[in-house]
Amino acid sequence: MKEILKVENIQKYYGNKDNITKAIDDISFTVEKGEFIGIMGASGSGKTTLLNCISTIDNVSAGHIYLENEDITEIKEKDIAKFRREKLGFIFQDFNLLDTLTIEENIALTLTINQKNANEIDKKVEQISEKLGIKEILKKYPYQVSGGQKQRCACARAIVSEPSIILADEPTGALDSKSANDLLNLMEEMNKQMGATILMVTHDTFSASYCDRIIFIKDGKIFNEAVKGEKTRKQFYNEILDVLALLGGDVRDVR
Amino acid sequence: MLEMLGKLSLRNAKRQAKDYIIYFITIVISVALIFSFNSIAFSKDIQELSEMMKYFNTSIVVVSVIVVLVIAWLVNYTMKFMLEKRSKEFGTYQILGIEKKDISNIFILENVFIGITALLVGIAVGTLLYQLLTSVIMNIFNQPYKIQIDFNLNAVGLTVVYFGAIFLVALINNRRKIRKTKIHDLLYAEKQNENQLVKKSKGNVIIFCISIILFIIALALTKHTFRDGNTISGNLVLIAIITLIIGIYLFYISISSFIIKRYLENKNRKYQKNNMFIFRNLTSKINTMSVTMGTLAVIFTIVIIGCDVAMLMNGMLNNEIDMGYTYEIMISSLDGDFSRYKEYIEKNAKVKEMYEYRTYYVPETGIIAGLTGSAFEGGKWYSEDDVMKLSDYNKLREILGYENVTLQDDEIIVQCISTVQKNFEKYIEENNTLTINNKQFKIKEVRGEDFAQSSGFNSYIYMIAVTDEVLEQLNCTEVGEEEAYDFPYKLVVQTEEPTNEEFYEDLRALIPTEEIPKVEEIDGEEYEYSYERNLANVKTRGKRMSESKSFYTIISFLAFYIALVFSITSATILAIQQLSDSEKYKYRYQLLKKLGVEDSKLNKMIFKQLFIYFALPMLIPVIISIPATLFIGNIFLVGITIEEILLNIAVVLGLIFIVYGIYFIATVVQFERNINEEMRG
Repeated sequence: MKEILKVENIQKYYGNKDNITKAIDDISFTVEKGEFIGIMGASGSGKTTLLNCISTIDNVSAGHIYLENEDITEIKEKDIAKFRREKLGFIFQDFNLLDTLTIEENIALTLTINQKNANEIDKKVEQISEKLGIKEILKKYPYQVSGGQKQRCACARAIVSEPSIILADEPTGALDSKSANDLLNLMEEMNKQMGATILMVTHDTFSASYCDRIIFIKDGKIFNEAVKGEKTRKQFYNEILDVLALLGGDVRDVR
Repeated sequence: MLEMLGKLSLRNAKRQAKDYIIYFITIVISVALIFSFNSIAFSKDIQELSEMMKYFNTSIVVVSVIVVLVIAWLVNYTMKFMLEKRSKEFGTYQILGIEKKDISNIFILENVFIGITALLVGIAVGTLLYQLLTSVIMNIFNQPYKIQIDFNLNAVGLTVVYFGAIFLVALINNRRKIRKTKIHDLLYAEKQNENQLVKKSKGNVIIFCISIILFIIALALTKHTFRDGNTISGNLVLIAIITLIIGIYLFYISISSFIIKRYLENKNRKYQKNNMFIFRNLTSKINTMSVTMGTLAVIFTIVIIGCDVAMLMNGMLNNEIDMGYTYEIMISSLDGDFSRYKEYIEKNAKVKEMYEYRTYYVPETGIIAGLTGSAFEGGKWYSEDDVMKLSDYNKLREILGYENVTLQDDEIIVQCISTVQKNFEKYIEENNTLTINNKQFKIKEVRGEDFAQSSGFNSYIYMIAVTDEVLEQLNCTEVGEEEAYDFPYKLVVQTEEPTNEEFYEDLRALIPTEEIPKVEEIDGEEYEYSYERNLANVKTRGKRMSESKSFYTIISFLAFYIALVFSITSATILAIQQLSDSEKYKYRYQLLKKLGVEDSKLNKMIFKQLFIYFALPMLIPVIISIPATLFIGNIFLVGITIEEILLNIAVVLGLIFIVYGIYFIATVVQFERNINEEMRG
């Protein structure tokens, strides 16, 4: 399979030279096209910092990150925004839908930023909304639709511009278990049927069990890796729990 | 408890001062304006400048009442707004068990603190402003002025009373609001304005069209009623104003639907650049504050047109001096005996030139047709035309430094005011002969130099000059048929130095009068009475100048006062609205940034959004006021040209734009700072 993301010996330091905090301490891994990969770790383990580095919101202190063979740590400041809007898709914890825009416009937002022409935008929005089953609510506003529909809208927005990789930061963090379940199924669908590559950061075992592969991080280092392979989700879930037990006491949200 | 409350309140007030710095500055500016203008109103030096300046203080007091009402509205509005913005905070206090009474006390303490601070700073600034304004006024009247710090206690007292009342009313109003609202409403107040987002836009498009039609009707009525000076109807003006106001409100209620229709229902336009994002931001906001926007627009329209008209009157009076008061002293009398005036003038002024002459009257010659196409067209002005000897005409021209003219016995010259010269010239191209008392004349030329005319001294609009010999042969009427305001025997004097008001009063006192008995029948009973008629008339340029300067000062200062207060008030409301919403916008713009919009583009979008937002309430007033002023200005065309009217409009708009622009820039800077602040953090 084709390699999409390659993280190479990255480090991230905070603080001054007398008092250095290593948020990321030499992490390397690769993500292949069409993979659904999870990053797990306790609060403060550095997983969000890692995501921020990949999403170019934060800079690395050392090391390289390649997305489709392009070194994103070398991208010039003025090109970063362009890179982000063309190559990355985001699913946020609180969906980040704009109240002032209709569902349709929210989905079209990234495309308008990319200056696509109107017909193309229209066609893509229609296609994606049909796939995600939100075609009926396109003209409504976010506060007029249910939480589940908002999730679908957020996912549609992330995938509509056909990014190289979709980054999800604790997407189920604010959801009840039913909604979380729906969202994860949706992400799985995007991954399996639409071929989207997804990198999800989570501390929730249930969410993680949907991934193909999980990288565990502790104190800024890769602690372990778990691959789903042919296992059922139930088996994979238990395996994750075992790793978490090894990880240590500060992971407590074991279901 | 109370001490803690005080501390909490002080800290809140401080934090608020940062958020509402623009509001604070506006209050300071308005205190400074009210204080300095009231200081002027109470200033003896200024009242003594001229006879007419006594009206200045009365008009300041009247205008101050309007200004106080406007500022009261601003304070009340802002307070209500702050209350809504902080409703979550107050709701939390209530949940924590703090009594409503104590919470409203916190709010009152804060506002009293802000108010008193603004009052003190404002009075300090106002003292400086007063010095500045006084020196400007003194300069207009060519009076020496040395800066002196006099602190007018009356003005201080009045300013404190004004602002005390403003804040008291606003506080009582808002305190009631706090005590009445339930915790739930406080906690969820922020979410409330979202509900109006969705509106059926079809009805609104119709409303939008109706508003445009109302504008056209209002303008048509204005044009109709101001077509000349005689047809102005108070009722029509009132109807026009009401139509305009309704139109403006309807416009702002429906504008967002129009924007949606124009920019958001057309896919190509919608997906172009950032239209979608910006116009959705705008329409959601405009929807919730259409009434406020409408009010601002109504205020602006009235202020702009009012200022324009005031400036027009001003310009007309100034032009009238140049056209009508070409000689320093102009006296006309019935009997031609000027000895008593001459005696006084020679004693009290250095005479440069003095000339006596007389004018004659002939029955209407038909030359009045030359006014076709001018502002005077269609008026029946005289039943006689004024005629003058060529020798007198040339002498009078010589005094003014104009070249001599020559005439044959069968020729005449028409001397008219400059604003109708072109109309006459056009007229004589086709009709260059004239019959006076059965004698044919050729019109040699039309002269339009300033010739003491629009004042009525050498007739109002035009007069005729013929050779001395011919004049003897014409059967001229001795005295005009109508009771003339200016008499046939005339004396003009040029002096070395301008005369003053006192000089004028003294000359006037020399005018002889006669008793004229009159009998009038009222309700079948006859009443006998008599009135005094002056047998001469005195005009001096000095007196007229002094009046004009006073008028100029009063008009321009008051216009400046009102325009400034209204502009800062409106700009403040818009700025506060946008800045306090920057929390909401921060989230939206931040999302765009995450999705990959460059900083420079983001700032451009912010600028565009705020620009449209600030421009919107100005749009209609500017568009409406220009034609409206031109239509109203029609009646001023006597002494003022269209170019001058347009210049006046430009000055008024320019002034408002500058003040408004400063607030706009401050808002943009603060807004960008707010948005970018959290992104770095």
